[in-house]
Amino acid sequence: MTILQIMQWLEASPAASAMNGPEWAFPVVESLHFIGFAFLIGTIAIVDLRLLGLGMRRQPAAQLEADLRPWTWAGLAIMLTTGPLMFSADATRYYVNPSFRIKITCLVIAILYNFTLHRMAARSEKPGVAGILAACVSLLLWSSVLGAGRMIAFV
Amino acid sequence: MSLLSFCQWLQETDVSVAIREGALLYPIIGGIHLLAIALFGGMVLASDVRMLGLGMRRESITDLIGQLRVWKWIGGVVVVVTGLLLAWCEPIKLYHSRSFWIKMTLLALVGVHALIFHRSVYGSTAAPDPMRAKLAGFLSLLLWAGIVFSGRLIAFDS
Repeated sequence: MTILQIMQWLEASPAASAMNGPEWAFPVVESLHFIGFAFLIGTIAIVDLRLLGLGMRRQPAAQLEADLRPWTWAGLAIMLTTGPLMFSADATRYYVNPSFRIKITCLVIAILYNFTLHRMAARSEKPGVAGILAACVSLLLWSSVLGAGRMIAFV
Repeated sequence: MSLLSFCQWLQETDVSVAIREGALLYPIIGGIHLLAIALFGGMVLASDVRMLGLGMRRESITDLIGQLRVWKWIGGVVVVVTGLLLAWCEPIKLYHSRSFWIKMTLLALVGVHALIFHRSVYGSTAAPDPMRAKLAGFLSLLLWAGIVFSGRLIAFDS
């Protein structure tokens, strides 16, 4: 099965017909996608601000990371449900969209990074300079995901 | 001058034309609007989740809200400024958009929400009454979710 065939199969799936059905379906799912990234990126940003020493300084980063984790996961779950739903609605076009490709590349890196290096930095007892670096990379990666995501509609 | 003729005048201003016709200006402002929503929205959600007692229970409500306040304001100001710029480029469309007016009404209700709960929850130095905090958190979630939905629907209004 070629990638093109997978895309066509996706476009013919029940998910795609639901998304392309009533005209409110797409904006509603897209709004949920927005709320999902507020959870996901917002909670990560709070940990990053702590690592940078710019906010929430009365708690250690490790505590914030642990307390916010369920909500970061909830955000990720919403994103990974609503994202593919929107993708299915117009799969072949998204697949060749350069902004979409940049976004997905950044997204994969951002997710892997978040649950490896970023987590290690946030959980270490004295994150220090490594924590500052980890936070900068994290904010940069997630901003790229958002920025490239926004550009999908314009290329 | 009626509101509609004000919108017509606004739409002809240089800034409006520049944002509308510059290929990159609109998506860039839109991107910054989204980034600020992530920051601001995340802070609002974290506060609401805490007020509802659903998370971050090791931090007290007063402490959490106090520490997030600066960043909420920074995020909020960026959202509003970029939002105004986005509105500036298509005021006539927004004037006729039902979703836009729903969004503005909900934003006004956020102001009412702040007035109602400022003293007893958000600005309180003592621990707020848990039920009142829960109510404030729940209504805040509801209002902001409504603002995201109605805001996104503007682009789909016919």
